Amino acid sequence: MVHKLTIDGKEVAFSEGETLLEVAQRHHKEIPTLCYDTRLEPFGGCRLCIVELEGARNPVASCTTQAAPGMVVRTATEEIEAYRKTLIEMVISENREVDVHPLRGYASGELAKLRDRYAVTPKRELARDRPSRSELGKITGATSGTSKSDDNPFILRDYELCISCYRCVRVCAEQEGDHAITVMNRGFHTQIATEFDGLLKDSACTFCGQCIQTCPTGALADKKAMRAVPVGAVSNRAPLEKTRTICPYCGVGCSVDILTQDEKIVGVHPAMDGPANQGALCVKGQFAYDFVQHPDRLKTPLVREEDGELHEATWEDALDRAAEGFRKTHAAHGRHSIYGIASGRAPSEAAYLMQKFIRAGFGTNYIDNCSRA
Amino acid sequence: MTVIPTNQALIAQFREAPAPLLAVLHAFHDRDGFISEAALRDIAVGLRIPLAELFGTLTFYHHFAREAPGKNAPRVCTGPVCRLKGGLEILDALSSEDATPMPCAGRCDDCVPVLKGDEVLTGQQADTLAVHATPLPPPNPGTHEECIFAEIREPERNTLAGYQRTGGYQGLTQAVTTSPTEVINTLKESQLAGRGGAGFPTGAKWEAVLNAPGEPKTVVCNADEGEPGCFKDRTILDYAPHAVLEGMTLAAYATGATRGFIYLRYEYPQTLKTLERAIAEAKAAGLLGENILGERFDFHIYIRRGAGAYVCGEEGSLLNSLEGKHPFPRNRPPYPVTHGFENLPTVVNNVETLAAAAEILRHGAAWYQNLSYDKNLTGTKIISLSGDIQRAGNYEVPFGLPLQTLLYDWAGGPASGRSIQAITSAGLSGGFIAGEDLGITIDEPSFQKVGAMLGAAGIMVFDDTRDMLNVAHNAMEFFAEESCGKCFPCRIGTQRLTEMLDRNAKGHRARRALIQEIGEVMKATSACGLGTAAPNITESLMRYFPDMLP
Ligand SMILES: Cc1cc2nc3c(=O)[nH]c(=O)nc-3n(C[C@H](O)[C@H](O)[C@H](O)COP(=O)(O)O)c2cc1C
Ligand code: SF4
Ligand code: SF4
Ligand code: SF4
Ligand code: FES
Repeated sequence: MVHKLTIDGKEVAFSEGETLLEVAQRHHKEIPTLCYDTRLEPFGGCRLCIVELEGARNPVASCTTQAAPGMVVRTATEEIEAYRKTLIEMVISENREVDVHPLRGYASGELAKLRDRYAVTPKRELARDRPSRSELGKITGATSGTSKSDDNPFILRDYELCISCYRCVRVCAEQEGDHAITVMNRGFHTQIATEFDGLLKDSACTFCGQCIQTCPTGALADKKAMRAVPVGAVSNRAPLEKTRTICPYCGVGCSVDILTQDEKIVGVHPAMDGPANQGALCVKGQFAYDFVQHPDRLKTPLVREEDGELHEATWEDALDRAAEGFRKTHAAHGRHSIYGIASGRAPSEAAYLMQKFIRAGFGTNYIDNCSRA
Repeated sequence: MTVIPTNQALIAQFREAPAPLLAVLHAFHDRDGFISEAALRDIAVGLRIPLAELFGTLTFYHHFAREAPGKNAPRVCTGPVCRLKGGLEILDALSSEDATPMPCAGRCDDCVPVLKGDEVLTGQQADTLAVHATPLPPPNPGTHEECIFAEIREPERNTLAGYQRTGGYQGLTQAVTTSPTEVINTLKESQLAGRGGAGFPTGAKWEAVLNAPGEPKTVVCNADEGEPGCFKDRTILDYAPHAVLEGMTLAAYATGATRGFIYLRYEYPQTLKTLERAIAEAKAAGLLGENILGERFDFHIYIRRGAGAYVCGEEGSLLNSLEGKHPFPRNRPPYPVTHGFENLPTVVNNVETLAAAAEILRHGAAWYQNLSYDKNLTGTKIISLSGDIQRAGNYEVPFGLPLQTLLYDWAGGPASGRSIQAITSAGLSGGFIAGEDLGITIDEPSFQKVGAMLGAAGIMVFDDTRDMLNVAHNAMEFFAEESCGKCFPCRIGTQRLTEMLDRNAKGHRARRALIQEIGEVMKATSACGLGTAAPNITESLMRYFPDMLP
């Protein structure tokens, strides 16, 4: 059965289980959000996604409201837009700054974008100049969040930029299943922390870095990427380029966007639309890319010559040498002298070929895979 | 020699029980006086809760200490009324004992409560603190029949024998001879509505749970009573615990629920003992447990104590707290009647609502309807009256009674020579009422007409010597301290409004337009009743005291 509701005067169809936000987004309504991440359970914290729902006393959060037949919804009335603007101004007032290094994380520009869209005066200007009459309405006050010094190589924990949307906590629990971080305290004093407010390395954190990528303000940030492109060097260097590829490490095959500047890798973003990972990565895919441009990286096969040293060789020579070794061993010691371990980095097809090679080629069942630790 | 139970023994005691986390945390807190890192690690493993999550949840509750002196260090009430009666001075005097402040502890009729371990001492000076029994409601002026309080002043009413001597459990005994639908119909006819603040019709709530699919169903008695200036539930629980048990059991019978919880606020340790005794008595008498009253109907009640979080009185937050989750309020719909405790149909009712239900099932709907003062309304409401008033206490008033009658005739008005400057409504949640508006009658519509709320009906009186800006600032500070932090408008708004009401803060010029704007956003967009109610303070302050903001 087709269900219908009315959004901004237009009757539209929806399917059971959809939220008002999902229906609205399908119809290209640009509803602002800060606590929302499509991959997570709707939370209803930021309240920016409010819409007017006929019959409801107050606006409702569209992210947590299930669409129902006959609903009449308005997504951007003057009143709703005014509430949104005030909310953005309020949330900006609790932060040290809004404009952040673009490589802090995948979503780190969200707050700044909303500030621009709603033309909210930056707080910094207020602090510098004496507020003029027209700015008397600007919201100021104590800032929230205490940045945590945590000397891990990957994740910056700059909570003076935290707006308590809890996307990081929810990604960690719902998407990664790690449950490494949590919400400590309450109200204006909430603070993202690990157990006993310790360091990430002493927690259940796997350094997958996905909290970084969902953070809408850059409070959690990619230390590696920021080291690669120091502040100040952002604008006066070549533009960033993004290349879609697949993480080479394991058979999951997570999609990633490799960020490069001047042909040098400066960071990795998870591909939110990656079919295998839907924006999730592990520490390897997220951070372990240094090998790509490392001087010690192997680029051609090496063969040990009579002098006992390794020498560069062609694939043809190298494969011949390997085959020769197999044959010799097989002849001298029998089929069970050979044992194959397939790489966990190989896709299923390669793993299949590998067992075929060992079983059919040598006639032994001595075959295993490294990722069954 | 008493054997100190091991960590594993404490966990094992509750691991298989429903809603184990709060029970386990309290067991450790009671044993050690605080919850150590090692204890938390064992609890996380024992109850299969991720350690970080458990740690975060623990920090949400202000009464759970993580180090000595912890539980035994005094906590001094610095709520709105106790501030008028020496709370801050006592806090100061006890500083050498590591005393810390706590928000209103529900003892405004007998200030100042100081919580020490499992005891509440009261007194208006540090050296006169002593354990006192909960004050009984002041004598009724005799002009109006009461409902819940009618027999509450009878001796031993908090025992099963005393309760039964005054008609207790008659309602339940009769009800089980009729059908659940008949019980619900009686309640609907009485027009009883929730007394915890939101005023949802009780009969309809029970009916929704009866009709909702999913089992087991649950009845939760909300005894969190965290609203400043409210202390009615404590009086009911201390002097008529069986009325509440009877009300819960009726709810169970009417809805088919088999398990019940009383969510009791931390600040009522003596009430805990009273309730435990009452439950044991009722069980022994076949009024609770298996095969109640010989019928084939089982219902078990478990007590779970909160640990210092006002928002845990909000039903979604309460249910999360019971389930051992982070006590943020839940998004609604769905409502607890279909998705309550463990996502199953659940009745959540206030203490007073349940006690009234027991009386209604005993005396009939028509009797209850006729108790009101204004015959267009039905029934009674208990008002917790405190502050600058001669006879503070709980008054059961018939709906529609003029407010002035309560304030002056029943409670004696302010001290002689003083006049009433303002009162609060719904504890703090309804904001202030002052001036001519004090001429209203006591019922929800009348209070709402002047921009206030009757709600749970705490009324705090401030006489003409009080600095209302200061009162408003402290009130907003309470909301800021208690904001759970889930939603932006409340988390940031309560903080900003507190700053703007602080007369002493530098650099934060109070700005009416901005206070107005933030308040409106909070009212329209906050995710629960805390955030939507808090701006009633600023709104009413500006309405009645327009010159007060600098
Ligand atoms: C911040 C907040 C605190 C609340 N505290 C309490 C409370 O302490 N006791 C209570 O009965 N209801 C409290 N409520 C109301 C409950 O959410 C719920 O409506 C009530 O328990 C339902 O019972 P009733 O229908 O019998 O009133 C609170 C609501 C909010 C928003
Ligand atoms: S650190 Fe970032 S993602 Fe986490 S709560 Fe703060 S703002 Fe949200
Ligand atoms: S190594 Fe990690 S990021 Fe790479 S494909 Fe496997 S799971 Fe994905
Ligand atoms: S209104 Fe306040 S208490 Fe309620 S959910 Fe929002 S932050 Fe929490
Ligand atoms: S996106 Fe709905 S409340 Fe944040």
